[in-house]
Amino acid sequence: MSVRSDRSLWAGVLFGVGAAAFVDEAVFHQLLHWHHFYDRSTTDMGLVSDGLLHAFGWFTTVFGLVLAADAARRNTLAKRVAGGGVLLGAGAFQLYDGLVHHKLMRLHQIRYEVDIAPYDWTWNVVAVLMLLAGFLLLLPMLRRPGRAS
Amino acid sequence: MGLAHQAPVQAGLAPWLAAFAMTGVVVAYLAATARLRRRGDAWPWLRDLSFAAGGAAVATAAVAPLPGEPFTAHMLQHLILGMAGPLLLVLARPVTLLLRILQPGRTRRTLLAVVQSRLAAVLVFPPVAALIDFGGLWMMYRTPLLSAVHDQPWAHALLHLRVFAAGMLFTTALCRLDPMRHRYSLALRAGTLVVASAAHSVLAKSLWAAPPPGLTFTAADLHAGAQLMYYGGDLVEVGLALVIVLDWYAEGGRTLRRERRRMDAVPSRV
Repeated sequence: MSVRSDRSLWAGVLFGVGAAAFVDEAVFHQLLHWHHFYDRSTTDMGLVSDGLLHAFGWFTTVFGLVLAADAARRNTLAKRVAGGGVLLGAGAFQLYDGLVHHKLMRLHQIRYEVDIAPYDWTWNVVAVLMLLAGFLLLLPMLRRPGRAS
Repeated sequence: MGLAHQAPVQAGLAPWLAAFAMTGVVVAYLAATARLRRRGDAWPWLRDLSFAAGGAAVATAAVAPLPGEPFTAHMLQHLILGMAGPLLLVLARPVTLLLRILQPGRTRRTLLAVVQSRLAAVLVFPPVAALIDFGGLWMMYRTPLLSAVHDQPWAHALLHLRVFAAGMLFTTALCRLDPMRHRYSLALRAGTLVVASAAHSVLAKSLWAAPPPGLTFTAADLHAGAQLMYYGGDLVEVGLALVIVLDWYAEGGRTLRRERRRMDAVPSRV
């Protein structure tokens, strides 16, 4: 990966993480009220991990956008690389949230008073699909010869 | 105590004194910028607006009855005093203004010496400022401190003053808009902001589950107050993130212009 596309990739990944965190908050917490703000089975460790990711999500949204603006003013914004980065970031966030937060730390569940299995599968499969799609978008860049890595 | 907890309007003189002092500072700020402009210096109007809004918010939060049940109203008051107010005030670069308006002489030299002193440098080292601000916040909500000062107007007013002062320190340390002894990397400032915001949201969630020791609130009040702390904190965090990141962006722009000038100066490169 060249220095040229590095900034675009990071802009994408950071914005992707933030966007996924934002969608999680806006759609599942606020609009659908499926997630709980706090569910009493939460461990301290889970609270800290959630707090860090939550704060990190806001920062990365802002920083991702400004990094993209920085790449654009240098005329080095590679849209495809940035797009791949967004998918990688969003997929990684959703997979971490789905596996570590929901299952391992049992921070809160996707939805309550229903059979949770189909929700969990959908959540994590979508995350893996986003990761794969991001990887496919970036593949040509990774393969291209003659670029300093 | 408990349900007898009045809305956070304190009886007594202290809050009014604080509100008048804040109003006085705003008037002084506006007088200073007017003088600056008369003598031909540029000073963005947005800074006047930001300072006036911050001062008005802080003065209002000190004395006016705020909406909501006791805990929710208390939280709104603290969000304004400790986070939103300080951000608006710090954005207006009050120390820069003071240094510009003061005549060369003893007062100005003293101010400059204080700003550039080693003690000030330690206090505005971002992790130290964060520790002072959030350590104090944690002490207020997770020890019987709040219930102890609860019915003592002067002690309560001092606690609010601490919230405001610590908020000013933290915001100043992260934004670094006024002259300071050291510069710090984006990574240190951003890392401090993220960890501090995480601590803030963890504390908000813990308050959702359990009130500060020695105080009782209705569940609805506690939950509304905790969520106000959580989401209100987010809002100010985004503002702080913008300040830090745009500072980095502006610095990159200056480097870029220097590079381009250098390129233009070498004709063979064109």
